[in-house]
Amino acid sequence: MGDTRREQLAALPFAEKLKILEKLRARSLAIAAAGLRGSESKTEDEPSAARDDKTDEPKS
Amino acid sequence: MQSAGVIGRYAIGGAVAATFYLEPAATLDLDIFVEFPETIKGSLVSLKPIYDYLQGRGCPTSGEYIVVAEWPVQFLVPAGPLEVEALKRATRAEVEGTSTWVMTAEHLVAIALQTGRVKDHNRVLQFIELKKIDYPMLSDILQRHGLSLKWKQFEVRYFHGRH
Repeated sequence: MGDTRREQLAALPFAEKLKILEKLRARSLAIAAAGLRGSESKTEDEPSAARDDKTDEPKS
Repeated sequence: MQSAGVIGRYAIGGAVAATFYLEPAATLDLDIFVEFPETIKGSLVSLKPIYDYLQGRGCPTSGEYIVVAEWPVQFLVPAGPLEVEALKRATRAEVEGTSTWVMTAEHLVAIALQTGRVKDHNRVLQFIELKKIDYPMLSDILQRHGLSLKWKQFEVRYFHGRH
């Protein structure tokens, strides 16, 4: 994802970002339910390459 | 919940707070840091009043989370001086006409640096790339909380010390 697109997303109102977060969360849960976690999936069209999956690492 | 006297000051932290400044990144839960009103502060801090209040309003629990509007919410008591300060200096945010509090970008970066997992470093890099950091403010926070060395190590690791 290009920096311009990232900047556009970063500039969205917080409420709009929260709606995107809800969609991302729903997608993550759907993938988890389908047993596809850990496999490579196409994510380039998602709003961010960054992932914050709380199941990845235990809190220190 | 604040107006009902269940909690005192509060602020959103973690990935959702980072989203206030950055592009949205997938997360499964919402971290809310809380402090309790003076009237119910004691030597032993319990989150039970929060759970009781929300469960009384139909919010189910799920492990360590309580589910509010379909979001698993984790209520956290500040674990140290940095998180206490982050809570006190949170910035106000509006969400569809409702006012809420979000930790500052610089405190989120300092906390991420302190926690130090790969995903935390990834978040710090995002703040840097999108130029969301007030460096004098961050430097002040890092110095006061003994994190300057960690920042130097971070710079060496990701920018070969040239950032």
